[in-house]
Amino acid sequence: MADKARLPLAPFLVPCVVLAVVFAAALGEVLGYSFRTFIPGSLDVGGFTLENFARIGKPIYARVLRDTFWLSFLTALFTLLLSYPVAFAIVRARRPWLRGLLIVLAITPMFTGEIVRTYSWMLVLGTNGFVNALLGGLGLIAAPIQFMYRSIGVVIALVQFSMPVMIVILATALTHIDVDYEKAAANLGAPPSRVFLAVTLPLSVPGIVSGFIVIFAWTMSAFSTPQLIGGGKVLMISNMVYLQGLSSFNFPFAAVLSLVALVAALGTLSLAAPLTKAIERRAALH
Amino acid sequence: MRTVKAFIVAALGVAVLGWSGTVTAQELVVSMWGGNWKAGAKKIIASEFTKRTGMSVRFITGGTMDRLTKAKVNKGDPESDLTITTTHVAFLYISDGLFEKLDMSLIPNAKELFPAAIRSPYHIGLYSYVYTPVFRTDAMPAGFRIRSWNDLWGPAVKGKLALPDFDPSHIIVVAALLSGADAAHWKAGIPKLKALKPSIKAFYQSDAVSQELMTSGEAPVQVMLSINGYHLIEQGMPVRIEIPKEGAVVGIDAIAINKGTKNLAAAHRFINVALDADVNRRLAEFYKAGPMNRNAKLDPELAKLPGVFTTPEQWKTQAILIPDEVRAKLLPGWKAWFTENMAGQ
Repeated sequence: MADKARLPLAPFLVPCVVLAVVFAAALGEVLGYSFRTFIPGSLDVGGFTLENFARIGKPIYARVLRDTFWLSFLTALFTLLLSYPVAFAIVRARRPWLRGLLIVLAITPMFTGEIVRTYSWMLVLGTNGFVNALLGGLGLIAAPIQFMYRSIGVVIALVQFSMPVMIVILATALTHIDVDYEKAAANLGAPPSRVFLAVTLPLSVPGIVSGFIVIFAWTMSAFSTPQLIGGGKVLMISNMVYLQGLSSFNFPFAAVLSLVALVAALGTLSLAAPLTKAIERRAALH
Repeated sequence: MRTVKAFIVAALGVAVLGWSGTVTAQELVVSMWGGNWKAGAKKIIASEFTKRTGMSVRFITGGTMDRLTKAKVNKGDPESDLTITTTHVAFLYISDGLFEKLDMSLIPNAKELFPAAIRSPYHIGLYSYVYTPVFRTDAMPAGFRIRSWNDLWGPAVKGKLALPDFDPSHIIVVAALLSGADAAHWKAGIPKLKALKPSIKAFYQSDAVSQELMTSGEAPVQVMLSINGYHLIEQGMPVRIEIPKEGAVVGIDAIAINKGTKNLAAAHRFINVALDADVNRRLAEFYKAGPMNRNAKLDPELAKLPGVFTTPEQWKTQAILIPDEVRAKLLPGWKAWFTENMAGQ
């Protein structure tokens, strides 16, 4: 039999190699800036210094980093809890029109820009916004609940922003679960709740872990939502980078903050594989 | 096939003609803020310039610091011929060699300006405004007034105040003054600043967010740019602009020519048009700002408005002026201190 002509791989690698080189160069520049001295009143930077790294030890920056981790964790957790039922319904819906409708409802928010969605949340969560007007009108609250400029408001908006992505990840994981396993469990007498807890949920763990970590790492770089809804009272690491870098032109210190955020995000992502394996091993033992 | 060839030739012909049109058209590009800012400059300065010279004007817009960042990146090959920015940020442009030294012989209208207008050999003030306390009268107790900056620390303002986080210089300098010091010795005002925290509801990052906070009632008391306050009043909002007895912090927007421009002569002419007494008057009336040309006679009703300075007496008694170089050099430290001590919950 004649050898089939094989498509050369190299041309397809060129774009990603170019991107990787450009990205590495940009990161290298950021790393370089982190060791340079900031000169107030000038756009230039000075000589070598470790001062920027020493400054990161101040309590305010540790607090911002801690708050960033905590808000990212809460966002990922609530996004997971709210998205799982939607993803499950999409995958298990018997009627194609229902599945289509759920998909449209789930991912349509992605087509509106982040700023538009954030401004919408400002109208909904404001002191005189929709939520307070509704609760007040129903007599459930005597005074408006303060959502804006608080962590709760930021988390609510970030969860809504993250849900489409989480739903897609979870739906993909659930799609790969063979329904025969669920049928077998049901045939052996397990009620639906037991089928879900003993079969479906453990088999969807890789999707849960992936989705959680993706949303966690993604939220760590959130900027416009905490900027607008946090109103300078809720600061995440990206807001601090903006305040120090673009706003103050202290690019060296902004570079250090960026590197810290990058290391934290990469460290979190690196947990995905070992965490998934550990949970799967635990589930297998049961 | 013949049809395809004919189409390609026709398309190339249109492209060449179009390209030729782009190359030969004379155009001046001005970097400016968007929204109401661009609207005023376009309607008043640009249209007059085009009428006098036949040269069209195009604006590129963006935030103060964003445009400075872009200018630095494009150093030597600027995107625009002129830049309109705040006077102390212009100092940063100058320190990085981003502006041309002005040939004042090409700007004869500069002889008619207030002394405060000549900021440096590289940039000239176009109009002045103030950062001052502004509040919604329908969201504060009846009879509430801000007669002194100290009133911002009062119980009526608790949890209602918004301040700009992109430039805390106004409140920092005010706190220093209230503590008996000045801009250069601002640390004397630190206890006063920390005591302001209970009043602060939020920080705003832009004019748009400031106006949104006022419109929604989230922060009905603000240290706000007077021009934005008048913009809200024009839209029917019950807003009062106060000039405290200690004065208001003056801001001046200035114009300069970007180094490397290919339209140096036209750029100088643009500045001269902007400083023309009548043009400067119309611009100041549009923004409800103070003109820089002393022969620009504003409508008497407008001249009475808070923050519109038209006389040397007003500059002397109501203006808190921060020297550009002091502000440019101290601002990063002010921002760092402000972020580390005032921002956050």
